[in-house]
Amino acid sequence: MPTIRQASTLELSPLLRGTTGGFRRGVSTSPDPSLVRRGTHTHRYRFGLALLVVLSVTAATAKAASQPAGAPAVNLTVSAAASQLPADALLDPTAAAWETIASRQVALNRTPPLYDTDPPADSEISSAEVRMVRTGGKLLLRLAWKDATDDEAVIARPPATPPEQRRMKEHSEASNRFFDATAVMFPTNLSTGVVSPSLQMGDLRLPVTIYYWNAARGAMLMNAQGRGTTKRTGESFPARGVYRDGVWQVALELPAVPAGVPLAFAVWDGSQQDRDGRKYFSVWYRLQ
Amino acid sequence: MSRHQYAMVMDLNKCLGCQTCTMACKKLWTDRDGTEYMYWNNVETRPGMGYPRQWDAIGGGWKDGNLQPSPIPSIDDYGRPFEYDYEQRLFEGKGKPVMPTPDPISGPNWDEDVGGMNGDDNFYFYLPRICNHCTNPACLAACPRQAIYKREEDGIVVLDQERCQGYRYCVAACPYKKIYFNEIMDKSEKCIFCYPRLEKGQVNACAAQCPGRLRFVGLLDDPESPVHKIVLVHKVALPLFPEKGTQPNVFYVPPFNPPKRGNYGKSILEDPRLPLEYLIYLFGPEVKDVIQRLEAELVRAQAGGRSEILQLLIGRDAETRYRIRPDLVQINPINKA
Repeated sequence: MPTIRQASTLELSPLLRGTTGGFRRGVSTSPDPSLVRRGTHTHRYRFGLALLVVLSVTAATAKAASQPAGAPAVNLTVSAAASQLPADALLDPTAAAWETIASRQVALNRTPPLYDTDPPADSEISSAEVRMVRTGGKLLLRLAWKDATDDEAVIARPPATPPEQRRMKEHSEASNRFFDATAVMFPTNLSTGVVSPSLQMGDLRLPVTIYYWNAARGAMLMNAQGRGTTKRTGESFPARGVYRDGVWQVALELPAVPAGVPLAFAVWDGSQQDRDGRKYFSVWYRLQ
Repeated sequence: MSRHQYAMVMDLNKCLGCQTCTMACKKLWTDRDGTEYMYWNNVETRPGMGYPRQWDAIGGGWKDGNLQPSPIPSIDDYGRPFEYDYEQRLFEGKGKPVMPTPDPISGPNWDEDVGGMNGDDNFYFYLPRICNHCTNPACLAACPRQAIYKREEDGIVVLDQERCQGYRYCVAACPYKKIYFNEIMDKSEKCIFCYPRLEKGQVNACAAQCPGRLRFVGLLDDPESPVHKIVLVHKVALPLFPEKGTQPNVFYVPPFNPPKRGNYGKSILEDPRLPLEYLIYLFGPEVKDVIQRLEAELVRAQAGGRSEILQLLIGRDAETRYRIRPDLVQINPINKA
């Protein structure tokens, strides 16, 4: 297997940081006609050049994947080994079995400020460690990354009894906290061939499915077909996260995604007020 | 630009600070999980900290066409809700006074009636606040989800709970801090100008319950409406912090208390009970003209003449104060088609 050039993604960061172009949101694909009807869009997105860079890397990734073995240049792959370990046991992200599975570091990039009102954020999380294994018809994945602050909480769920029939209501404990989170994104149509969807939440032609886990709100299945279109499906999936000694370890149980499919990773740092596109992201990788 | 625009005028000379509007709103809209700390309508003492604390100084709004940054207020800036331990004290015989938990350290109108000093004299007045349903809403522009929209039919700014993802860019962007985050539901919420009531021909709950009868409601573009007359014809009401650039549709008749010494020969501006600088801070330099206009009307009325605007501001009955037009705005013909 060709050597993986971590630098290929790291090199993106200065480029991304340097983008201050004035793309207006109206430029980006907005597939839902109701959105167009509604909005005066006045933000500027500093994503013009970033988009080009991301697209070119995506193309490079696709090209690399289509090249015969031994081809040089960028090869961004993550391997999932077959295993007999029970999926249930691997849902414990601290299970010793995870340490026996091959790991690789995925470089993370910090999104530039998305909105004029965003304060710039330091790039504190430069990479995440990914381990993947196939077992029992499932794809299990463990993401681990260093994060100096543990931003998690238990948030009350609304009781089944309607509020008007209760004397006490659940209170909002906080108004300004955000939580650590991670996600893995796949094309919704798993047979995309060499083409990867737009890294910015897919596009009309190639929608994406996102397996999102949040340290306060748990696992949520989402889908999207372009920036600003991410929707929670209301479905969940098995996932567990543990924060210990400055490291998050999160295990996700996903369906058996076939080899060759593109996938991308993201990490949110609650203490940096990360949410939405304000996050750390990887470029597209290929599952092997 | 919406086809019509609902607006509200509040005459600050008539506000008692009784919070009946606050309670009317609370009982109707924010008596749900996660909404305890929210007051879509609040009344705060001015000068004062406001609700949330220092909202007028922390940012948001527009400058030179750009959204301005702002922190998101903490729950203690709003005031953490507390409960009283009635059960322990009254029914379990613990023998101590009934106490609130958690210990209150802040709250809406926490500095009630403290006010400020004008020379040796204390002064304060009350400022009732709802969402301003701005013509150029910063919250709407800040939302990456397009969850906030301005109703085409009546200009009311609403937040689509289905589209909202709880990101809170709107909370930061609103210079009046009139959008609140419901952590239980993971959604933001705001005043809806009681549009379900308006659609049935009923005035907003805060206005309907106001014992001071200080609120006037109608379409700004309806020449027969009291708000049109007060704001555009007589020009005696102004928006709060016009320099924030959002073009509010809630207007205030500034307080024009009589001169301090009760000297009828003196003008309000010669010996003001409320420092003019503070009113300029809130309503912009135009407030001076408004006070002079109102004083001239007052002089005319005191001389036995008739002042149309003062008669209107008395607002004797609901027909005078409100002109609700469900016929114009109930259903958007665009949606119907």
